[in-house]
Amino acid sequence: MPTFYLDDQPIEFEQGETVLKAVLRFGVQIPHYCYHPGLAITAQCRQCLVEVTDMGNGRGMPKLQTACSTPASEGMKLSATSEKALWGQELVNEFLLINHPLDCPICDQAGECDLQDFAFAYGTGKSEMAFEKRVYGWRDVGTFIALERNRCIQCSRCERFSRDIVGSHDFGAFLRSHELTFDTWEDSPITHKFQGNLADICPVGCITNRDWRFKKRAWKFRKVESVCPSCSTGCNITLEHHQNRVFRIRPRENQEVNRWWMCDEGRVGFKPLNDRHTRLGEPQVRVKGRFQTAQWGAVMEAIAMRLKEIGAREKQVIALTDTHATNEEMFMLRRLLADGFGSQGVFFPLIVGKQQEKPTHPLEDDFIFTLITTDKSPNTEGAKRGDLIGDRDDKRLKAALKESPKVVIVLGAPFQQNSEIRAAVAKAELIVYIGAFANAWSEAADVVLPGYTYAEKYGTWINKAGRLQRIQPALNPPEQARDQVWILSALLGAPENGESFADGRAVLEAMAAQGGDFAGIGGEQIGHLGLQLKKAAKERKK
Amino acid sequence: MAEEKLLLLKNIRQQGYGGDYASYKKTGGGAAFKKALTGMTPAEVIETVKESGLRGRGGAGFPCGVKWSFMPKDLPGPDQKPHYLVCNADEAEPGTLKDHVLMLGDPHMFIEGMMIGCYAMRSTHGYIYIRGESPHAIRRVQAAIDELYKAKLLGKNILGSGVQLDLTVHPGAGAYICGEETAMLDSLEGKRGLPRSKPPFPAQSGFNACPTTVNNVETLANIPFILTEGPKAFAAFGSENNTGTQAVSISGHVEKPGVYEMDMGHNLKSILEDFAGGVRGGKKLKALIPGGASAPVMRADEIDVPYDFDSLMKAGTMRGSAAIMVFDEDTDMVEVANRTIRFFNHESCGQCTPCREGTFWIKNMIRQFGDDAGDEALLSLVHRAAGNIIGTTICAFGDAVGGALQGFVQKFPEDFRNHFQS
Repeated sequence: MPTFYLDDQPIEFEQGETVLKAVLRFGVQIPHYCYHPGLAITAQCRQCLVEVTDMGNGRGMPKLQTACSTPASEGMKLSATSEKALWGQELVNEFLLINHPLDCPICDQAGECDLQDFAFAYGTGKSEMAFEKRVYGWRDVGTFIALERNRCIQCSRCERFSRDIVGSHDFGAFLRSHELTFDTWEDSPITHKFQGNLADICPVGCITNRDWRFKKRAWKFRKVESVCPSCSTGCNITLEHHQNRVFRIRPRENQEVNRWWMCDEGRVGFKPLNDRHTRLGEPQVRVKGRFQTAQWGAVMEAIAMRLKEIGAREKQVIALTDTHATNEEMFMLRRLLADGFGSQGVFFPLIVGKQQEKPTHPLEDDFIFTLITTDKSPNTEGAKRGDLIGDRDDKRLKAALKESPKVVIVLGAPFQQNSEIRAAVAKAELIVYIGAFANAWSEAADVVLPGYTYAEKYGTWINKAGRLQRIQPALNPPEQARDQVWILSALLGAPENGESFADGRAVLEAMAAQGGDFAGIGGEQIGHLGLQLKKAAKERKK
Repeated sequence: MAEEKLLLLKNIRQQGYGGDYASYKKTGGGAAFKKALTGMTPAEVIETVKESGLRGRGGAGFPCGVKWSFMPKDLPGPDQKPHYLVCNADEAEPGTLKDHVLMLGDPHMFIEGMMIGCYAMRSTHGYIYIRGESPHAIRRVQAAIDELYKAKLLGKNILGSGVQLDLTVHPGAGAYICGEETAMLDSLEGKRGLPRSKPPFPAQSGFNACPTTVNNVETLANIPFILTEGPKAFAAFGSENNTGTQAVSISGHVEKPGVYEMDMGHNLKSILEDFAGGVRGGKKLKALIPGGASAPVMRADEIDVPYDFDSLMKAGTMRGSAAIMVFDEDTDMVEVANRTIRFFNHESCGQCTPCREGTFWIKNMIRQFGDDAGDEALLSLVHRAAGNIIGTTICAFGDAVGGALQGFVQKFPEDFRNHFQS
């Protein structure tokens, strides 16, 4: 690979790359604001000035160059720490702070602010500006983001995002010189579904997430890598939480799935996690039509007794699961029905996801619009590959219900909207509900077993493109809740009747040992960015 | 009394010259384009312009022929991108008015030069970007182009040669920065006029990402002469490396302000005294800005230099767009600096941090002096802040502001001190 030298440090680059891109990938920091890998290069903040002492042909450049716009070439010699380069970086920093309000104590960006970080690292720490600063009025630009223009450093990332990524053209540059401002048109707030990204890419506190604003200092957050559960795209996210409450979801870069972006629907997907009203905290058993809380041991014994009484086998036992369930849970559910009752009847609602949003203006690359699908669950693909039963009009489930099953196990919130199915299931003798939240099924059930939310457990989902991605626990579950896979293995009669699984990781090992799609796959193979699976066996035949 | 050397203004100086195509033709106009089209290959035209040593008159003084030769040599086929020639008639540098005179007085001369340029660079469409504040210039140039279409010198299959050429007049919206060539291309595309970061240079990716050359009006107006009379006849004017004549705009405290044409390298002092009639009212000269507001100021004792690109560069200032602004002994240079920085602050596009924030900051500091406040520290801070804008921005605007402001502080510190030391 071709190489250039930054302060004598050899750095490899790909042909056509700019210096800054290669340097950042190598892991050295050069301060920068306007450069964002997902946006067009404008080289306007001038913060990444470096000295080019040799362009690769023995000649240097008289002026400082911006690393973000300088194409790397073989044998090039640069310095980001020479006296001249530091002069450039310092002066840009000084100029940027001239009109910046320095209101870090009340700014939500503080703690994760590029300007703050770079000013500490590369600035002089003093100001000779003795005049009134530029002040803008406050503007309401929409429901999702707040705009505080006094903090703006005019990097134009927001404008380029609106123009080139979303194509909405609703956020642009107005006026010029020191009055240059980035804003919406008069009385036309932003309405597209990707506004949260504006807050992410804003290097300062000019655009902040309205939902999260004033609620928590950024440095308080503990961050856990996860996957967005709000649709079948499976955008990679970070759950940012503090004191067992999630405050925001932010996208995590994954070039294969969501690049740097995610939609606003996904960003508010953490709200149920903080919901204490519908959260199920203790096992409940219906006694004479009323629910009573009970201990786990007593509940499991009661279920075992009841099952023995009913003595249901094969078609008399079915299970319903939603597609928020992890692959591990689906695996355990199938195993429970097959090993426990000799039944294959695990049903899931099949939704064929379609792209939901379209750009309002023609775009060179409308990638971001492929992020929102109509399938609002993260693991439909996993259910299909797990050989669960699902079809578009639930015909096979309705046929199975005609056989009047005696025992129904419900995982999560499947078919909730379908009153026909609900009415048919209600005739069963025993309904066991497993899930984190109260819903129509928990109301109808005979036994309610509290499970974990996706932010409390290990597990894997397969997104619409067949990519296996993992979720991890971030929050502490209620004391009496249990991991779904543990509940399912307990229902199977573990430990006497087989193995007991503590969490999803153990189940994944068992699945890997069993072969199929998951043969030889462990947490390491999935990694932070997921693993692209081969096409499902059925589709390969086609 | 020095005589004008008339090459660009030769028609304009004639009594009763109409400026329409008929009168232009009567003076021999149109011959150069015909000669190029019928007797020369595009490469030969570029070679001829190169030989003449013509340097761009817009301000930077880049050799015109060399600039033309940067354009891709291949003929634009159906798969290739079209080439464009854009004429920069967005003359907005304070003090400059020579392009205006050329456009109003003799529009056909620079249009002919532009047609030759289009032929040489195999461009089938040229744009003339005129600033919107000059509606009369826009009307005049548009009328001249209409005449050429009527005479079948523009359009399809010109003079039966198979060459196609269209010219379009585009009015700007009045931003100074749109005189910067890449900002002009942005503006022409219908966007905000913001200078682009180079590379890529316009010759690779300019207007609509196609190969583009941008030339000043005066530069193009020289082309017909070079083709008809030959590059040697052109190089006979001026000095070595600074060939030809130049149209110089003189304004300020002089007896006879106006546009005068003379050899490149004519002595600056002689320009002031012989052409402009010296300082107004018999007063003494205090200072002189030799190349528009962007050029660092010169003291009265420094002006005995040849007026061309290289000599003024050596003198620490620049020829720029040949706009001489003269200030007599009564002038307060703080006021001049104040007016200059207010202009630059207003016209900065706001893209680059040093220029956007620097012009704002310096404006405030200079205003301090105007209010009879300030001190030595503030003076050196102006100098430092101005220096920090030089060489750290995308376009040359930053260099211009920084250089001009440093010039005022360096050359006339006593004017600043007068404001706080009394």
